[in-house]
Amino acid sequence: MRGSNRKSLMRAQRGKRSIWLLALTAVAGLVSGACGQGDWVPVADSGGAMKSSGAVRAERRLYDGAPPIIPHDPFGASCASCHDEFGVGVEGVGFAPASPHDDTDHEGATGRCRQCHVHVLSGDLFVANGYQGLEQDLRLGGRLYPGAPPTIPHQVLMRENCVACHAGPGARVEILTTHPERVRCRQCHVPVDTREGILSYTVTPTTTPEGP
Amino acid sequence: MAMKRRRFLRTLGAGTAGIAAFSCSDQEAARRIAAEQGSVQDADLTWTKAPCRYCGTGCGVEVGVKNGRIMAVRGDEANPVNRGLLCVKGYHLPAMLYGEDRLTTPLLRNSNGQGFSEISWDEALNLIAQKYQEALDEAGPTSVAFYGSGQWGIHDGYAVTKWFRGGLRSNNVEPNARLCMASAVMGFMTQFQSDEPMGCYEDLEAGDDFILWGNNMAEMHPVLFSRILANKRENPSVRIVDLATRRTPTSDYADMYVEFKPNTDLALANGILHLLVANNQVDQAFVQENVVFRRGTEELEQIGYGSWGPDGLGLSPDDGPAEHYRFADQARPSSFDELEEFLADYAPARVSEITGVPVGQIHALAEMYGDQGRGTVSLWCMGVNQHVRGTWMNNLINDLHLITGKISRPGANPFSLTGQPSACGTAREVGTLSNRLPADLVVMNPAHRAKAEEIWDLEPGTIPERPGYHTMDMFRAFMRGDVRVMWVQTTNPWVSIPNVRRIQREPNDGRFLVVSDIYPTPTTEAADLILPSAGWVEREGTFGNSERRTQHWEKAVEPPGEAKEDAWQVMEVAKRMGMGHLFPWPEEDWHEAMYEEYRRFGLGIGKDLASYQQLRETRGLLWPVVDGKETRYRYAAGFDPYVQKDRGVHFYKATGFGERAAFWLRPYHPPAEAPDDEYPFWLSTGRILEHWHTGSMTRRVKQLHQAAPEAYVEINRVDATELSINSGDLVRVVSRRGDLELRAKVDGRGQPPRGTLFIPFFDEDRLANLLTVDAMCNISKEPDFKKCAVRIERA
Repeated sequence: MRGSNRKSLMRAQRGKRSIWLLALTAVAGLVSGACGQGDWVPVADSGGAMKSSGAVRAERRLYDGAPPIIPHDPFGASCASCHDEFGVGVEGVGFAPASPHDDTDHEGATGRCRQCHVHVLSGDLFVANGYQGLEQDLRLGGRLYPGAPPTIPHQVLMRENCVACHAGPGARVEILTTHPERVRCRQCHVPVDTREGILSYTVTPTTTPEGP
Repeated sequence: MAMKRRRFLRTLGAGTAGIAAFSCSDQEAARRIAAEQGSVQDADLTWTKAPCRYCGTGCGVEVGVKNGRIMAVRGDEANPVNRGLLCVKGYHLPAMLYGEDRLTTPLLRNSNGQGFSEISWDEALNLIAQKYQEALDEAGPTSVAFYGSGQWGIHDGYAVTKWFRGGLRSNNVEPNARLCMASAVMGFMTQFQSDEPMGCYEDLEAGDDFILWGNNMAEMHPVLFSRILANKRENPSVRIVDLATRRTPTSDYADMYVEFKPNTDLALANGILHLLVANNQVDQAFVQENVVFRRGTEELEQIGYGSWGPDGLGLSPDDGPAEHYRFADQARPSSFDELEEFLADYAPARVSEITGVPVGQIHALAEMYGDQGRGTVSLWCMGVNQHVRGTWMNNLINDLHLITGKISRPGANPFSLTGQPSACGTAREVGTLSNRLPADLVVMNPAHRAKAEEIWDLEPGTIPERPGYHTMDMFRAFMRGDVRVMWVQTTNPWVSIPNVRRIQREPNDGRFLVVSDIYPTPTTEAADLILPSAGWVEREGTFGNSERRTQHWEKAVEPPGEAKEDAWQVMEVAKRMGMGHLFPWPEEDWHEAMYEEYRRFGLGIGKDLASYQQLRETRGLLWPVVDGKETRYRYAAGFDPYVQKDRGVHFYKATGFGERAAFWLRPYHPPAEAPDDEYPFWLSTGRILEHWHTGSMTRRVKQLHQAAPEAYVEINRVDATELSINSGDLVRVVSRRGDLELRAKVDGRGQPPRGTLFIPFFDEDRLANLLTVDAMCNISKEPDFKKCAVRIERA
């Protein structure tokens, strides 16, 4: 699958941003109550690649908040040529999600994509690992009062491009914005720093050491 | 406060379903939410701060804990080191502790030599005490040894150094940092008589030109490299120069890539000095006020390389005396006039011939260093330190900054980076090297020993005067049987020692090896007794990073099974040997008291550490910390509280040089082994982005292992074509010391020039160190992992 994906991606005509508009239409459909199409946003021409985006999302990262691995082979193109501010849809293949990072400039601080995102070259494990990471919790987020704009329940650093996750065909329906066209998200939605007070905090040990 | 606010929001959310329901999934989510009486503001994790476990950068992470397990980490935006950014290893930290083969009980080798059996802690600790005591009684303090690590927390290293020197009266304490930054220590000590850099990471924003000496920062110090890239984006005139022996991901971002032949960086640095002097770009006022000149031995043939055999190629004890090297050196006063004469040998044309660097690039480098309008930061790590003349090379880089006065100023400094999280904090500052005591004190100096004996409340004369074995000699002495009992903590020498075949041992060989670790490794396989250690945030601790920042973390989760922290293991053995007086603190609360005792060594002598309480409350502070304030630039007026305001720069620690820095004349010298007809390739070894050190932690993380599952050998495309080797082919790499089968990689992330190969050393199933030579720096005794001769053939 990876191999064929690569070839068709390379061949495919890029820059079909129209898919983004299709997605908005899809959202509109859901908003108006079109249930029963599964849990995920249908993407008209992606061949169902997004249908399982929630599970795939979890599979591709160690815990909610960890950078995802790169699910395709390297093929010589710069990451930002597809994973740009908007993402790129390729007919019959799927959607290269937008970069959520502030800056996708190749020379920029976040230009070293593979400093955090790595390719998968093997399906093996060196040793089994019992770690169970934090799962995505779609209940996250609060409002001051009913009708108030929800606050941002996650770190904004490296996630400055809100629409990368909250709009478009890559987005889970639970966190889709109803108004991507408004662009200046953080004029109404503010990050709630769950680390509030951590700067001057004094941590008390959660446990005390015990003798032999 | 945080809790209060969270509860406030939750209360408001109650009964309102928290989020609007638009879809089926939302309706399902809404039902869940209703059951929970409201939306949640966060994942209910308890967050605590810690420095990352891996490299010497010292990135701040926040560790999210729930139900006694680490669930997530995130970059700490309040930490000035990384400002929230991590690299792939840092983001994947949590899984590092949960490999299913964690060591959880002490294990003793069975009497038939095969396999291990569980024993109790009490039995294990008594056995270690008994073995150490027997060795002391029968063969004296030189027969016992401790091999630790720049991954030790400060407490671990301090407990060991105090117990060994003050209890066992032995200086046979070494950290694996000897393999890592000993040359940098000796560079700073021989020039400034005080270890560690004068600058700090703010140099990465303040500097204009970044000269990377054999330093693949993009992979090894990615977050610091990101800081340089961010500077470059804001200030397009910023330049990065990559001086290297092969192309790496760092080269992709360099304004100039300068490729030199292995070991000829010595000639290149002298070539730059030659041009600076010839072009009148010496800061004469600075040099007159702040610099003295020194010259080492000129009998270069007498120095040697410290490996086995008459030719020093590390073959076998039968080929010659085990340790034939003399390492003779001398220091004598020199002068600027003598420097001019000395540099006559390093005119651009000759340097170009030695190094392979075009004359134009040598001129360009000299122009950069000589341009007083631009801040120059030299950065280096293993390429310069793991070098048969590593101390000389450190001297030469510092020389470039001394002669141009580009030192102790924001954005103009020589900046030595470290590879381990507490190489600075524990190996260098605590002084866990065989000749050192805390705070740059040394065992050879009677006044220094007396100071340690006073702080440690010991009889005068307790601490031995003679330095112990340095790492390479310690392992050789262990194999000879001169060291009978050795304890290894937090490192993996049976993977990381060069020419590793030299230390292969048989069970029941009459020696006793204790190994404390969190996972089984080739080193635990070599052990007689294995102890399970608590890792990273499974215990309280402190690390010191490359920029003199000491960082503290609290214990966040319980270690698995019966695993215990390293310092505790050491103190328990000491107590069983009647040396409990060395650790007179309550068993449940000793961390702060031990640290505060340690801190006394540096107070008032420019090595002042922050108080423990201050470390708890901050993201670490840069020493010297005086009146609670950190020092960003040492020796600099206005920054360093030890320097008078009108003084400019003052190298006040270098009392042996009249409080000036020493400029050393250091010549080019060839490496121990160079390619020939039989072994026509250079071999360099090193790390890669995904794996840290010997991979014992990172390989147990799925994402990291799957990204880099095994070691490979990088070969130039032309060489590969000539040898009919395709990328992915199984090949055999052979040196005079061993051979190794692994896959070839052509045009991978690193691209060696013709005649050079590169193998990463993380893979315990493909040991790069079967091939390397145990030749070392004549001053620092740090081995050179970057240069040996090999051949490559299809397997």
